Amino acid sequence: MVAALALGACSGGDTAAPAIGAPPPGEQRLAATQVLRRAVDAGGMRSIDPSLSTDVPAAHVLDDLFEGLMRLGQDGEPQPGVAERWETSADGRTWTFHLRAARWSNGEPIRAGDFVYAWRRTVDPRTASDYAEALSPVRNALAVAEGKLPVAALGISAPDERTVRIELNAPTPFLLSLLTKSYTFPQYEPAYRAHGEDWVRPENMVSNGAFRLQEYVIGGRVTLVKNPLYWDAAHVRLEQVVYLQLDRAAQTERFFAGDIAFTDSFSAEQTAWLRARLGDQVVSAPYLGNFVLGLNVTRPPFAGNRALRMALTLGVDRETLVRYVRQGLYQPAFTPTPPLPGYHAPVPAWAKLPEAERHALARRYYAEAGYSAAHPLRVEMHYPTDSDNRRTYEAVAAMWRANLGAEVEPYNQEFKVQLNERHLKQQALFHYAWIGDYPDPLTFLQLFQTGFGYNDGGYSNPRFDALMSAAGNDPDAARRLDELAQAEAILNEDVACIPLYYYATRHLIRSYLRGWTSNIQDRNLSQYMYLLEHQDH
Amino acid sequence: MLRFLLRRLLIAIPTLLVIATLAFMLLHLTPGGPFDSDKVLVPQIQRAIEARYHLDEPVWRQYLRYLGQLAHGDFGPSFQYRNTSVNELIAQGLPVDAAIGSAAMLLALLLGCATGLIAATRPGSWRDQLPMGVAMLGISVPVFVTAPLLILVFAMRLHWLPAGDWVAGSWRHLLLPAVALALPYTAYIARIVRSAAIDALGQPYIRAARAKGLPPHRIVLGHALRPTLLPLVSFLGPAIAGVLTGSIVVEQVFGLPGIGHLFVTGALNRDYTVVTGITVLYGALIIGLNLLVDLCYAWLDPRVRDRA
Repeated sequence: MVAALALGACSGGDTAAPAIGAPPPGEQRLAATQVLRRAVDAGGMRSIDPSLSTDVPAAHVLDDLFEGLMRLGQDGEPQPGVAERWETSADGRTWTFHLRAARWSNGEPIRAGDFVYAWRRTVDPRTASDYAEALSPVRNALAVAEGKLPVAALGISAPDERTVRIELNAPTPFLLSLLTKSYTFPQYEPAYRAHGEDWVRPENMVSNGAFRLQEYVIGGRVTLVKNPLYWDAAHVRLEQVVYLQLDRAAQTERFFAGDIAFTDSFSAEQTAWLRARLGDQVVSAPYLGNFVLGLNVTRPPFAGNRALRMALTLGVDRETLVRYVRQGLYQPAFTPTPPLPGYHAPVPAWAKLPEAERHALARRYYAEAGYSAAHPLRVEMHYPTDSDNRRTYEAVAAMWRANLGAEVEPYNQEFKVQLNERHLKQQALFHYAWIGDYPDPLTFLQLFQTGFGYNDGGYSNPRFDALMSAAGNDPDAARRLDELAQAEAILNEDVACIPLYYYATRHLIRSYLRGWTSNIQDRNLSQYMYLLEHQDH
Repeated sequence: MLRFLLRRLLIAIPTLLVIATLAFMLLHLTPGGPFDSDKVLVPQIQRAIEARYHLDEPVWRQYLRYLGQLAHGDFGPSFQYRNTSVNELIAQGLPVDAAIGSAAMLLALLLGCATGLIAATRPGSWRDQLPMGVAMLGISVPVFVTAPLLILVFAMRLHWLPAGDWVAGSWRHLLLPAVALALPYTAYIARIVRSAAIDALGQPYIRAARAKGLPPHRIVLGHALRPTLLPLVSFLGPAIAGVLTGSIVVEQVFGLPGIGHLFVTGALNRDYTVVTGITVLYGALIIGLNLLVDLCYAWLDPRVRDRA
């Protein structure tokens, strides 16, 4: 972490910029060859078109190829990107961004219209992007996506070549964070005009990030080279970045073989074994995702039976689960939203009860719900096939059997089958984990809003909806978070779901690779990374 | 002969049609669609996406459309890889599998035949039992064990060869995956060759050759080899088709961009066209190679030729 602090001094400011290739102060010598080979999880990268890409592996590549109005800083916070400064209107609904003199990889200047073009393309129904919804905070975005309004009605405009104006439906305090995301990146319209959707192929792509695309093999290697025209190229030390798409086991093997310096994940079950061999090179930190059990409150046995839902949530020993099943990697969860800066998630009072008291309370609720040893709860718990999941579900079922006498049967299904049945509300108790789209409670809480597309438990409470809507329109950021916390407290009171734990990132990182930091979104831009002199493995 | 060939080729068409139909039906019957995800979709956008891939049409229309494309050798657009056709995906992945598969087959044939023949000349002796014991091990130990072991020894401990990745034309990247893939086939081939050779060596014409005083190597290579190859050839047809269309395990362990992994992720993501396309390709390869096997049979065995 010391290295990260040392570099932090030069990534934010422009005065202390060391010469290209020079080591940051207090560091050993840089490696002569600055080529980073890093892994992303296999099977996910489907497109590297910023308007179309929805998957995590491609998001890593796009973070290196493009840059939005904001860029993700080394600390994980948004900082000026193509925009150097901005103003907000008093009601928080209109934002004006002023662009710096930045260029595309072909030397053309980046114009405000390049952002307007890109955003319109994303929401244009003809583009058929399954991420158009991500721009929904922007005025008219949904109406355009639904084909009710022309794309020109989208709330983004270019008053002049260096100014982008964004109009929002509601004050959106997390807007700056959204502006670091791939679906807000600018796009070079002539490339699309000339090549259609083939504009993302290496020979056609024009990008504006720290790196350019050199090679793209579907399911294989993606090679990027440094973009000398990037506005902050003086701070980019890596000459080349090679992404390899590998499954978890292969990532670990290749790390040991010295072939890759940065892995995307490792199997949680291997944590202790890896720590014993690799020490500090095993890196884990909180991640913006929760592992939650969904409850269908519209059908038996959970409909109208809060006592039963209470009994189940009280009957899970989260500390035990996290320590013995998840090898201490994750944090126990008592409320859906993971820890976020500035947000005080409401933790139910029972979370602090000693185990024996909590179990006694759970049994009381279980009895109150009408169940007993002679008449135990029998229900299936549906989860998608994955060995990492299986252990958790088996453990939870065992806890309910021991603590309550409930007969809960873990039932594994293929991912798409589970998803499908869940959406059709055919499952009473189900896997409902969620990875946040942006670091704000809204991304987790909206799942429980009445009528929300992915409210698979059918939860509906007018008081919750009213608070969510009040928060959505509140220009006061602090008060808004307070309203969200009140809404979340209602979810916990109603036991709308059973939170188990919060996810954590899992990386293997060579000690000679510097410039990365752990952040809650687990986005690590290669432009901050560099290699120290080291012995090859 | 020509009539035989023509008839076989004509039978291949309805066979492929049945394969394509079954694959198409099974995929469409599986719950969950290609564009279901756990992220939110505006219904209109979902419809726009489905319309783009004609998923909004009745299934029979989709089926006819698909058959029409197939007739033109077009496997259609991939659903999971945007703006990429299945033909492109296969063109990119197949050479990787073909290179590794043919290297593996060559290795397996050379090693397997040699071991099998040596073992057959002295059945029951150590020259038989040792290699056959090793072959048994080769069959029993799955690739997902041998491949990581090879990486452990040759890439992680000795640093002689890369642990994976694919560089076209580089034998160093080819070697470990090819050996991993070849091991079980070597073992199968050795066992097939051994039993066929023992059988052949017991025939009266071999006894006659021995009586004439021919040296052992001429008896084995000149007289016993041809009949020995018969069962091997029928094994090779489907084996080569399997090896060429990729081994998902080898691809995954070595991180190779072949079509085996495309097939598996395609099935998981309901990429209908990719799965059907690769299934049809596999079917066509099996049919083609089996035809080749029959032709080889005729060449190897005069009795078969006479009947044809």
